Amino acid sequence: MTILLKAEHIDKRFGITHAVNDVSIDIEAGEIRALIGENGSGKSTFCQMLCGIYSIGGGTFTLDGQAMSVRNQVEANNLGVSIIVQEMGTLSGLSVAENIFLGHEEPFMHWGIKDTRAMIREGQKLLDEYGFGKIRAGAMIDNYNFEDRKLVEIVKATYFKPKILIVDETTTALSQNGRLELYKIMDAVRADGRSVIFISHDLAEVLAHCDTVSILRDGEYIDTVNAKDTDEDGLKRLMVGREIGSAYYRTDYGREISPEVVLSVKGVTVPGQIEDVSFDLHRGEILGFGGLSECGMHEVGKAVFGASWDRRGSVTLSDGTAINDIPSAIHHSIAYASKDRDNESIILNESIRNNIILPSIDDLANHHILNGRKLSRFAKEYADQMQTKMQGINQFVSDLSGGNKQKVVLARWIGKGSNILVLDSPTRGIDIKVKQAIYALMSELIAQGKSIIMISEEIPELLGMSDRILIMKDGRINGSFTRSKELSEEDLIAKMV
Amino acid sequence: MNNENRTSFFASDTFKGLLPFIGLVVIVGAMYYLTDGRIMQPRRLRLLLSQVYYPMIVATGVFFVMTLGSIDFTEGSTLGVASIVISELSFYSIPLAITGGILTGAAIGAVNGFFHVKFKLQSFIVTICTMYLFRGVCAYMTTETAIPASAAIKALDSDNLKIGITLAVLIVAFFLFRFTRIGNDVKAVGSGETAARFSGVRTDRVKFLAFVAAGALTGLAAFVNVIKVGSITATAGNQLETQILISLVLGGLPITGGSKVRFSNIVVGTLMYTILNNGLVMLGFESATQQLIKGIVFLLFVALTIDRKALKVIK
Repeated sequence: MTILLKAEHIDKRFGITHAVNDVSIDIEAGEIRALIGENGSGKSTFCQMLCGIYSIGGGTFTLDGQAMSVRNQVEANNLGVSIIVQEMGTLSGLSVAENIFLGHEEPFMHWGIKDTRAMIREGQKLLDEYGFGKIRAGAMIDNYNFEDRKLVEIVKATYFKPKILIVDETTTALSQNGRLELYKIMDAVRADGRSVIFISHDLAEVLAHCDTVSILRDGEYIDTVNAKDTDEDGLKRLMVGREIGSAYYRTDYGREISPEVVLSVKGVTVPGQIEDVSFDLHRGEILGFGGLSECGMHEVGKAVFGASWDRRGSVTLSDGTAINDIPSAIHHSIAYASKDRDNESIILNESIRNNIILPSIDDLANHHILNGRKLSRFAKEYADQMQTKMQGINQFVSDLSGGNKQKVVLARWIGKGSNILVLDSPTRGIDIKVKQAIYALMSELIAQGKSIIMISEEIPELLGMSDRILIMKDGRINGSFTRSKELSEEDLIAKMV
Repeated sequence: MNNENRTSFFASDTFKGLLPFIGLVVIVGAMYYLTDGRIMQPRRLRLLLSQVYYPMIVATGVFFVMTLGSIDFTEGSTLGVASIVISELSFYSIPLAITGGILTGAAIGAVNGFFHVKFKLQSFIVTICTMYLFRGVCAYMTTETAIPASAAIKALDSDNLKIGITLAVLIVAFFLFRFTRIGNDVKAVGSGETAARFSGVRTDRVKFLAFVAAGALTGLAAFVNVIKVGSITATAGNQLETQILISLVLGGLPITGGSKVRFSNIVVGTLMYTILNNGLVMLGFESATQQLIKGIVFLLFVALTIDRKALKVIK
């Protein structure tokens, strides 16, 4: 085997955070290498230095025997390194072809004038070759949905046959079909004697599609193992650095659900989103909501929290109080953690302190007058209780990893003492250690008699955590299940599609 | 080996926070030197102070609007219209005149706030439109002759009264900003409106009220203006909006608003602007040259103080 990429003593700091700490990895020609680690372990930063998004803090990359140091993605492409990112990587306002050839327009330029037709022709040829012929190269990229745009990105990142293709958590954005297309392309790269660096949180996917797995933890290189010599538990152990107990999900079954109804939703309709949704939430239960991502379950969370724009029907508490807007929901002890964490759950450009105190500010005021020290004590107490990894409560939330952001979100609602928690995708994009902490917290909360509505796209999570599960389809409740050991993923899926 | 990532002192928030104060000292120092100390003569200082009162009151209201990340271009025209109302009412009763001025300002602020909130129009667009509208009203009412105010209101002109009103405004506003949830709410909206709404902030109400407050304070400033000038012409309050905007930015207020605003921005900014303005006049620059210099200073300050993180969150 020949070594295609040699990374030696790669290093990167952001302020006082040592994001990548002296990492050395060799990648052989013709392999798919997974790079795994928890949030903040440095895997994305490592790859982004390789492809020119970040400058290299220290150390060297050697590709095919040549030292490489690139300043941007176009230079990286020219040397044979490309990346498909997790977020939107295409530019609005440009055509599909213009997106594919962004930064590589040179072949289509004649005397400074772009030959648009040749570019579209070439783009369409590529799309057809990849089997994405339904996407038209001449059309505006904005005409396509997120998934199709991802496919365009895949073409953009691979058409020039890069020596190293980096796939950075792309699969979370793709449906099953899109994933299969991506796996095919990864296999093709390998068959060609080139290499893939594959970043994913989904360990089952990693084991199924990669040859070798390199593990990073807190910016440091831990180990590289053969995928066929290990299993998910083995990888988790390496990622976390200790044994992950079997108490990942709840283990209790057959628990009696209190007959006491704390929240009652009747005939709620949000035009275009949900139709005539009714259910009761009982004291001390976790009520799971599942379905395909467009089924309307996310809107149910917003409707309960009074955040829907145009809602009909009623959401009432046990004492008959109607919940119609966010301030009254919060006042009556309802909490909400959105799926869109960065926009709806937390204020990124604010400190941890101010994020935590915001919903509780009226409770903390004394005759409307605030005491800064009291607010700081409050914020610190709950940030610490959630074991938020931070430099201090005045650190900005934008600096935190996904898991720690979610801890801040939960800290504010625990601090508020909310009795009804609506958690939409509570563990989305969050690593195992924090996931485990969140599940433990949920168990603790229901033991205290609080009630949780958990909306989740992850079926194992629904099965593992919920007392009851409601499955939605096309905006309506399409099935209802009670917690049991016998309940299987297939039972739920059957009601989703 | 990787110094590039360590935040240097000059890029740090501490430095950015100090910059307005450093700027103030530099401008005072430069003007003192260039005018051979004449700018510090008691007579000069009194003149300077007399120019600080009403912009500072107006800036206090606009401060809240800009903390939201919004902008208000109507101060000049509001001041004009409110001054007219105050002058007319001053012949009946002084308290009535003050109340009338504040209510006029508040009403204009309410119009701005209503269109901004209910029609979800950008404040920039709304207030540019209403600026022309009320500038028109002001011009229409003063076409024939300047509008005189009563002798009774002119007799009130004293530094003590003007200082008193200005200090009272600053103290009340500081208290509301620092020790009540109002300050938290406006900063939260400025930093992230959607998340603020999901945290229980009544964002629409906060935005509406900020515009009303800005208008009301401009109305109060109009009273201070009337007792000083005595009669209102079509140019009353001309260009006040840009003066306020420049002052606040010079004072270090990030134009994106949000968590990094400081109350001191108002005081430091207004002082800097007034001193700069007076100094340039004393140095005998033509008004064209003055504008040129002010433009350059303004541009430099925006470039140095803007919060780039707020424009695009870097992951």
